[in-house]
Amino acid sequence: MIGTRSLLLLLLLAVAPHGLVGQQPELVEQMRTRGLPESLVAEVAQVAADATAQGLPADPLVEKAIEGWAKRVPADRIMGAIQQFRIRLQEARQALTGTGHAEPLGPVVAAAAEAMARGLGQEQVGAVVDAAPTPGAAGRGLKVAAALAAQGIGTDQAVGIVVRAMRRGQADTDLLDLPSVANAMRAQGMAPGQIGQRLMQGAGSAGGPGVGPGQGGRPHGVPPGGPPDLPPGQTKKQP
Amino acid sequence: MSTRRRFSSGAHRYLDGGPHGDLPAEERRDADRLLDGLRAYGNGIEAPGPALTDAVMAVVRQRPARRQTAGWRWLFRPQPIRLRPVWVPLAAAAAVATWLVARPPAPDVAPTAARVDTVFVRFQLVAPNAQTVAVAGSFSDWRADAFTMARENGGVWSITLPLPVGEHQYQFVIDGERWVPDPHSHDQIDDGFGGTNSVLVVGPRGVVQS
Repeated sequence: MIGTRSLLLLLLLAVAPHGLVGQQPELVEQMRTRGLPESLVAEVAQVAADATAQGLPADPLVEKAIEGWAKRVPADRIMGAIQQFRIRLQEARQALTGTGHAEPLGPVVAAAAEAMARGLGQEQVGAVVDAAPTPGAAGRGLKVAAALAAQGIGTDQAVGIVVRAMRRGQADTDLLDLPSVANAMRAQGMAPGQIGQRLMQGAGSAGGPGVGPGQGGRPHGVPPGGPPDLPPGQTKKQP
Repeated sequence: MSTRRRFSSGAHRYLDGGPHGDLPAEERRDADRLLDGLRAYGNGIEAPGPALTDAVMAVVRQRPARRQTAGWRWLFRPQPIRLRPVWVPLAAAAAVATWLVARPPAPDVAPTAARVDTVFVRFQLVAPNAQTVAVAGSFSDWRADAFTMARENGGVWSITLPLPVGEHQYQFVIDGERWVPDPHSHDQIDDGFGGTNSVLVVGPRGVVQS
């Protein structure tokens, strides 16, 4: 016969794997809304709950599961990708704590994981987070540094550009223009090293010199993505 | 002077239309006399005719309307208003002052730069043999049918979307089943499923090309 304590323990064990449901029911509902089967929802929820317990963000894992399901990836491969992603998040968190950031917020951990996947090292990630005035700025700075590195600018130089822009007090949303500016310079035939130097000198800051095409976004009522003066034949906005 | 006679219960039944039974002769005579008097009184009453109804309604129509109805009518009738002209600008100034005090505070933005949270981005893909092309990404919850692109000349498919400022990952979906990265994007990232997502960073002043 099962005693009351044993019954409560069993109930606790049964509920524990579904901790995500209790903590973030909207994430589970999001997966159900997108048509993920219950078995996959339960597995992803388990991994996400474990991640949350480790101080890792759960939403990127859920979003990755939804992405895989949308791409019609088999459930077992989705789970494999989710597990790999969780490990990357864990490594990113360790990198942040290793550079003196004891309790990094979820979005910062997610941005750090992505930046490290795109080539930034632990010290470089820590340098961006150190220079950021807010956690939100840290996340954006990491994304921008990774995007600059993806355009061929060296990671040290890309991180330096972002750190200097932050220390100059440049609005963190303005940082998001730097990849566009770099891209426009590249479209004009500049080498990545030159682009890095120009950006390091302040190009791309609001009102700064050397701002390339593509600026002037929305108030003009045209798709701001399209620079008006790219060379003929150049693919300017895709997007 | 009148005297009140107390009838027996049998006499009450008789007065109510019951049988006289063994009612004593004197009591029955008194009861009959009373019944005759009631019948004579009843015969003397006339039912009100249409003339009475008309007379009553005529009186009702002549009574003044209720005060509440009159008030409503006053509201909807043109009324002359006397006003000193000086009150018009004073009232306008009071209204403006009230609006200035009551309006919500302006958002905390830098005065020198226009802040843009959403930027229009144009996606293009050359796919002359495709029947349909859509763009799906983190901005659409990866729904393959959310943003179908339009076919232009030369097999070019395009769509312009308002995207929030920030980083977005995306792929093109050809014919509803083939997911491909943007061939013109220089920023690609492993999607974890054996494919590649294109990465787009949208700044507040617009994007050039990922």
